[in-house]
Amino acid sequence: MSFDLNLIAESLPMMLMGIGITFKLLIISGFLGLTLAIFLLLMRISGRWYLSFPAQVYIYVFRGTPILVQIFIIYYGLPQFETVRDSIFWPILREPMGCAILALTLNTGAYVSEILRGGVLGVSKGILEAGSALGMSVRQKFIYLTAPIAARLALPAYSNDVISLLKSTALASTITIADMTGIARTIVADTYAPYEIFISLAIVYMIFTFGIQKLFGVIERYLGRYTQREG
Amino acid sequence: MDVLSGWWDDYFWGAVVVGQVFICSLGLMIIFGLFGAMAKLSNNRVAQKIAGAYTVIFRGTPEILVILLLYFGSAITLTAIAQIFSPEIKFVDVPPFWAGTIAISIIVGSYATETFRGAFLGVNPGSIEAARALGMSDLQTFIYVRIPEMWRLALPPFGNHMLSLIKDTALISIIGLNETMFVAKQAITVTGKPFTMYIVVGAIYLGFSTIITLAVMGIEKFGERTTVGAK
Repeated sequence: MSFDLNLIAESLPMMLMGIGITFKLLIISGFLGLTLAIFLLLMRISGRWYLSFPAQVYIYVFRGTPILVQIFIIYYGLPQFETVRDSIFWPILREPMGCAILALTLNTGAYVSEILRGGVLGVSKGILEAGSALGMSVRQKFIYLTAPIAARLALPAYSNDVISLLKSTALASTITIADMTGIARTIVADTYAPYEIFISLAIVYMIFTFGIQKLFGVIERYLGRYTQREG
Repeated sequence: MDVLSGWWDDYFWGAVVVGQVFICSLGLMIIFGLFGAMAKLSNNRVAQKIAGAYTVIFRGTPEILVILLLYFGSAITLTAIAQIFSPEIKFVDVPPFWAGTIAISIIVGSYATETFRGAFLGVNPGSIEAARALGMSDLQTFIYVRIPEMWRLALPPFGNHMLSLIKDTALISIIGLNETMFVAKQAITVTGKPFTMYIVVGAIYLGFSTIITLAVMGIEKFGERTTVGAK
């Protein structure tokens, strides 16, 4: 047993071929998840029980179960029903990629919606009162006052969630997707060199995590550019 | 629900394994977190660096990669060591239970490190000064002043760490631990009902999450019983 650097040099380019898939999973489900989260948020803060209750149940279920179980329910579970196989969604649900994106979207949507809600709750009352005093409607207050401030407040927590999403994309390898982790597992099965392969891949993931953190740091500074002087 | 008859006991024992993994990894996670926090708060530069690297590495790497690395890595190392003594041995591994338990407690421990560190720094300096003024020794201050304040501060994020632990146990099925995911897989090969079988797994995890959430809420209430009047 030894640490084989040549093996890393050979297999790293192979693993990096999975970057495209990893990022496809991250970006598509990140974007769709954020959209879903905004819908869930609006349902929760609507003040109507028949909207907020289903959103709460949804968030509770998806945050209370492991993402791996959710992926398996969608990929292995849904084809159990004939209606699913006959439906127009079948071309998406038949593909592991479609299932992985769906599962990651549904999962991250639940988490992000809670983060956004934290942001909305953090908006100070005085600002909303000022809005009312100016004669703004509820909708105007939400669009021009609550949303921008809440987005800024939620951003640090949101960046953590994007990082968890990146880490969750690795689970796509469990349903035969050849993302970076999937390729690494295939190489390890062939070469039986877990240290070399998995450690070098871990470093790749860490670099991406670092990049995401830096990117969000830049966005945070940009969004907070008006608040700098006060602080 | 007929398909489930005959599988309930398997699921029950699977859930017991999940519970066992949870209890063991909870203990280890606290130990890793406390050591990490102690190292970060110490004046020793080397310890700070090591703890810093620990949190960066395990917060930036997908959980599944850590589990695979720990399991397969320890297996080839142990096999290599065993072959020195008796060459006819083909394969030795750390049981998946322990490899997985250690892996998830290292991962969540890296998050707990920050929680414990934050709780230590969050203790009101006035309380410490009051303790000094009363002539308390460092040990007395720690036991009677710091700890009662610290656990209250650490509890809400600590509850989230427990939820992460319970959900991460599902990943250990990938290295062959016979917990609920594994039971579902067996049940599916017999019954051909993947949706039903994985939904049961989801329900079991939801049960665990609910118990943890309720327990944390109860303890939080208990912790606040003496501070309500002070607000």
